[in-house]
Amino acid sequence: MPDVTTDVRIRPLDELDLNGIVRINEKITGAYEPDLWEKRVMFYTRRDPGASQVAEANGKVVGFMLGDCRAGEFGLEEPSGWIERFGIDPDYRGQDLGRRLFDAICAHFKAEGATSVRTLVDQNDAPVAGFLKAIGFGESSLAALERKL
Amino acid sequence: MALKVENVELPKKYHDAVEHWHRHNFKDYDLLLKYWDKYFPKDDQFCLCAKMELGTTDVIQIGEQKGEKKRLKPEEMTPEQSGHLLAIIKAQASTEFGSIQQHAATVDRAPEDEDKFWTMRVMAEELRHGYQMLHLLLSEDWSSVSGGVTGEQMVEEILSMTTGSHVLDAFNLDYDSYTDNVVFAACIDRVGKYQLTMQKVCAYKPMADSMPPMLREEAFHLAAGVIPMRRWAQKAAKGDVFVTMRMMQHALNKWVPRGLEMFGDERGGDTNVNFGFKDMKNDEASSLYHEELRKMIRDINTRYIRARFPDYTPEKTEQVLDELERSRGTHHGLAWTDLLRLPDKRFFRRKGVHAFQMVGIDGEPFTDVEDWLRYLAANLNDGYIASRDMKLYAEALRSVVSGEKTPAEAIKSMPRLKRVGGTCPCSKGVRWVMEDADGGQTTVAVR
Ligand SMILES: CC(C)(COP(=O)(O)OP(=O)(O)OC[C@H]1O[C@@H](n2cnc3c(N)ncnc32)[C@H](O)[C@@H]1OP(=O)(O)O)[C@@H](O)C(=O)NCCC(=O)NCCS
Repeated sequence: MPDVTTDVRIRPLDELDLNGIVRINEKITGAYEPDLWEKRVMFYTRRDPGASQVAEANGKVVGFMLGDCRAGEFGLEEPSGWIERFGIDPDYRGQDLGRRLFDAICAHFKAEGATSVRTLVDQNDAPVAGFLKAIGFGESSLAALERKL
Repeated sequence: MALKVENVELPKKYHDAVEHWHRHNFKDYDLLLKYWDKYFPKDDQFCLCAKMELGTTDVIQIGEQKGEKKRLKPEEMTPEQSGHLLAIIKAQASTEFGSIQQHAATVDRAPEDEDKFWTMRVMAEELRHGYQMLHLLLSEDWSSVSGGVTGEQMVEEILSMTTGSHVLDAFNLDYDSYTDNVVFAACIDRVGKYQLTMQKVCAYKPMADSMPPMLREEAFHLAAGVIPMRRWAQKAAKGDVFVTMRMMQHALNKWVPRGLEMFGDERGGDTNVNFGFKDMKNDEASSLYHEELRKMIRDINTRYIRARFPDYTPEKTEQVLDELERSRGTHHGLAWTDLLRLPDKRFFRRKGVHAFQMVGIDGEPFTDVEDWLRYLAANLNDGYIASRDMKLYAEALRSVVSGEKTPAEAIKSMPRLKRVGGTCPCSKGVRWVMEDADGGQTTVAVR
């Protein structure tokens, strides 16, 4: 077991965090997907540098939260934060890292003028839905709708 | 989305001069803007303007005047301070424009359109960073510390520099292939990140306020270097004959020493800290930089090993990498030297404490100058070893080894290209100038 008692630092994402994110995702989903994460990291690095956050322990990435601040989509003219992907290394869960990442990304969104933060969740994914509820997400008048084609 | 930033445009004649400059030095600028939405959908449009961060501290954070109010005008600083800062701003401006000229030479050789557009965005943002520095030169009067040179003349000088005449060596080297575009972004823009980060504290507030917007753009530049390198590593591992680790290693060998030298002599940096312009001295910053490169290279090597041994878990990959780094041996046909290696801090240096030492990539010492030059020739790309830069390096090194010159004299004798005159790069000549040890100059060649 890794030493999970050491201090964990929350800091903005950079391009050298890619391997860490790929590894955490692989631990969670079992899929090794470097191409996908290279695209996502590049996207957030250019879209809203400084917004996305990672948690680092002993120089190793143990958690990440990716998102950006947007305006002008779905008729929402005011800037709002969007959280897209996040994950905590299973060895480091239950230590408030998810919440600390969320606080850091929200601080950035606020500095950009956002007054709300949004995300989409698969209601069947009880752990993620539970986490989002615990950090304060509630029902929105906007709903994600879907129709099969 | 932008944080709280004020966009400022230069007076028209200077804005037009920068527009004119990019028509000569960055011919695909309009192409980039035309296809911006295709390659960077929904990103803010590119703005050729200076961006000043709002809401930053107005208290000096470091140095002898810590706690005092930040300076808003050159005359609020001592002449030594403003003269020193002026040199920093001019050097920074020179590097920004310089890198565009370097990128422009080989950007068209990018293997994929996406690569090319990433590089072009980097170039456009460097143009903006240069513009930002021109704003700092023009928005206040520096003539009391510039030896009477006006803002207009300083801008003219900067815009007329070409590869070879820039203030820092890394911006005087031609690119030999598109590999240089990418490795330069990964290694030299990383120095830029360090410089900008250190200058966020700058006691001259307009300089400090210029840094955060530049740094946010720099994040993309680093990714535009590292991500193609990662993809190339994967291709190399899968046996792509046109993409090799060796080609990336040769580019690292070319750029990492120049990157280390951009921090200045390892023994210096006190003045910047005392004056409140930067929050780290040269040695500390360059050591952190070198360690960050180690991380970058390990990441790329990890990507390579996973592609070469797809069944390996992340843990197994880490183990193999640790073992190869320790043993410098082989693992199932994969040699340590097949991976990327971080050049030793002393490797191929021509400035600073390690100038003209003969130390290999992995720290191995050389005693015979000809053996050393043969080793360098085998570890740099062919286009580069056939260059004037290498010829002059070899001459300077031989003179140090023979005792004819001290390293300090040899450093000074490396020629620099200086501008002769004219405002437009299409209408002016430049010449090689050899600076004598006593500061005198001898013209070597005209082109
Ligand atoms: C959900 C996840 C982010 C939680 O991270 P964490 O660091 O363990 O969470 P924290 O310790 O910060 O917990 C914050 C709050 O969420 C709650 N919480 C965490 N996990 C929860 C769960 N599975 N169910 C319900 N609530 C949960 C905590 O109890 C805590 O609430 P409290 O402060 O009221 O006590 C983490 O389990 C995870 O990464 N899951 C996988 C996510 C995924 O599938 N990613 C795929 C790649 S995008």
